[in-house]
Amino acid sequence: MASLAHPQQRQFNPYSENGGTILAIAGADFSVIAGDTRQSEGYSIQTRYAPKVFRLTDRAVLAVNGFAADGNMFVKKVKQRLEWYRHAHAKDMPLRAIARLIQTMLYARRFFPYYVYNILGGIEEDGTGAVYSFDPVGSYEREACRAAGAASSLVQPFLDNQIYFKNQRPAPGTSHPVHLPLPTVLSIVIDSFTSATERHIEVGDGLEIYVVLAKGRNLQGLEGIRGMQELTVTEDGERVFVVRRELKKD
Amino acid sequence: MSIMEYNGGSVIAMVGKDCVAIASDLRLGNQALSISSNFQKIFPVTDRIYLGLPGLATDVTTLRERFRYRVNMYTIKEEREIEPETFAHLVSSTLYEHRFGQYFIEPVIAGLSKTPSGGVKPFIAATDIIGCLNFAKDFVVAGTASSKLFGVAEGLWEPDLEPEDLFETISQSLLNAVDRDAFSGWGAIVHVITKDKVTTRTLKGRMD
Amino acid sequence: MASADGGAYSYSLTVFSPSGKLVQIEHALAAVSQGTTSLGIKASNGIVIATEKKSSSILIDDSMIEKVAVVCPNIGIVYSGMGPDFRVLIARARKSAQAYWKMYGEYPPARVLTQEIATVMQQATQSGGVRPYGVSLLVAGWDSHRGPSLFQVDPSGSFWAWKASAIGKNMVNAKTFLEKRYNDDISLEDAIHTALLTLKEGFEGQMTEKTIEIGVVTVPTLEELEAGKIGGETGRPKPTFRKLSEEEVRDYLAL
Repeated sequence: MASLAHPQQRQFNPYSENGGTILAIAGADFSVIAGDTRQSEGYSIQTRYAPKVFRLTDRAVLAVNGFAADGNMFVKKVKQRLEWYRHAHAKDMPLRAIARLIQTMLYARRFFPYYVYNILGGIEEDGTGAVYSFDPVGSYEREACRAAGAASSLVQPFLDNQIYFKNQRPAPGTSHPVHLPLPTVLSIVIDSFTSATERHIEVGDGLEIYVVLAKGRNLQGLEGIRGMQELTVTEDGERVFVVRRELKKD
Repeated sequence: MSIMEYNGGSVIAMVGKDCVAIASDLRLGNQALSISSNFQKIFPVTDRIYLGLPGLATDVTTLRERFRYRVNMYTIKEEREIEPETFAHLVSSTLYEHRFGQYFIEPVIAGLSKTPSGGVKPFIAATDIIGCLNFAKDFVVAGTASSKLFGVAEGLWEPDLEPEDLFETISQSLLNAVDRDAFSGWGAIVHVITKDKVTTRTLKGRMD
Repeated sequence: MASADGGAYSYSLTVFSPSGKLVQIEHALAAVSQGTTSLGIKASNGIVIATEKKSSSILIDDSMIEKVAVVCPNIGIVYSGMGPDFRVLIARARKSAQAYWKMYGEYPPARVLTQEIATVMQQATQSGGVRPYGVSLLVAGWDSHRGPSLFQVDPSGSFWAWKASAIGKNMVNAKTFLEKRYNDDISLEDAIHTALLTLKEGFEGQMTEKTIEIGVVTVPTLEELEAGKIGGETGRPKPTFRKLSEEEVRDYLAL
């Protein structure tokens, strides 16, 4: 029998890590937000289809990665705040406002944080594609591209090279493009995930790529993409599409 | 803190069409403090074999001398140059001899081996710190930026690259990976080994 | 010159006689030349080593006697002289081959293994409390660098490469016979027959598959080499040295 004279320590760990990777790239008039669908704990796969990317409005898509329970609850709360905004203002919240809202919500839990990395993608009010990335306590930044999650260290340097053209010098008399065309971005996203699937055990099973198109833009080659589906709700505004692909399951 | 992060450094090797390449950064650090931007981690073993030794700097020097001794003894005893496959096994057994008091080095081997019909065949291999061999067909990575190197190389590498394209691929893989690693960087060196020559280039990259 | 009984220097292994000889080694060579004849011939596409296997009594189960030994998949050895000494050397040679495999992931070239055995034999000429090995060896092997090679090792620890050689009883006659028969582009099949003919010269009694042992080195074809040195489900290298079965020996004797 354990002696009562000795002090005993017990601990409850409220956090877990559920693997997976997310990534977002902003174009001139579009934004691409993607994530794999594997959810794991340790070496066990809990499910091969657990979405990490969510449509918030017709111009905003949020990807959450880290502790899945926190992620799901966080998305739920963001969606609730966006609905309240719609009731109060009779319109969707602008992207930059959603970004600030997310910061506030994350920082509110500064001492018991949501254990998640957020990447918000969509179209700004001026019609430009945007990506906002957050740390778990709300520090955020607008960027052209960002990878987060289990394989972020594999994907981010690849993106630096392919999106920002880091360590590359343009041919004399030319310059690197500031924004890439949509088909190029899509193939970089797919390559990033197949590479991460190949080398990281927590990445794989399925891939969901959300594409947000600015108001009045044509499909820019998106019509030819296999497995594409439109999710747009409102008319003559921004349009949201999702592309679903299989990833290796081993 | 990982012992690999004490001095930092990374190495990558890739297979091309009738050629191989091996590259490393040039940083020597003392934890977060950078000491040197010209610390060699890759050494020639024969005219056709190069050996990369990322890890604890003191062991880099020790192992370089150890392998120099062992390869010289082999060359004299056998009256022939050692082949890359054989050298990889030598590296593996040398490291496993120290199974319970390891050298903190993750060796990378790149070379061209002779085929029975007189041609050359690209060969790369890497081991962990106790000598477990990995004979990859595409590329191998090691050091503090290994996960980043895996990511970029997996995205950029393709089969049957000609020497010049292989140089570009390995250089871009290394530079972009070490730029995301605080323990690696400060310039790079790239060796491309072909049938009749070895091309060595030193790269600047971002020096921060 | 050593006298018939060996003289005053004959008992100490490590003391030179005034004429510059180590008499114990000469005695060991004498022991070898009393042993049964063994020979080896290097052919254009392989090597044959063969020996006569003679037992002193018909009551001995000669299926247990092994005079041609496999050291590793690419090397075999035959001896003349003292059987027990040979057994010890083979054990050493096999250990050495496995140690080499452990270090380099491949089996040693015949040249390297021969040198290792020769070193062991040399040490027995210079150490306290031991006697020299009473055997001469013929080592046959194949490796990718040198191709087929045939070596002879003597009790002194000296070794040479041969195109063809004979050791043991009748070695002088056998060598003269081989000199007459040998040419550089002899095929392995012809070499096996020449080996049997040479043994026949000094053979007492009947030559049968029970009284002859043969080992052969077969040079792999370019295709076999290109296919890779690791073969089969076991991942073991395809042997280039093998002993001929009694059936095979019988077939060669019949021709």
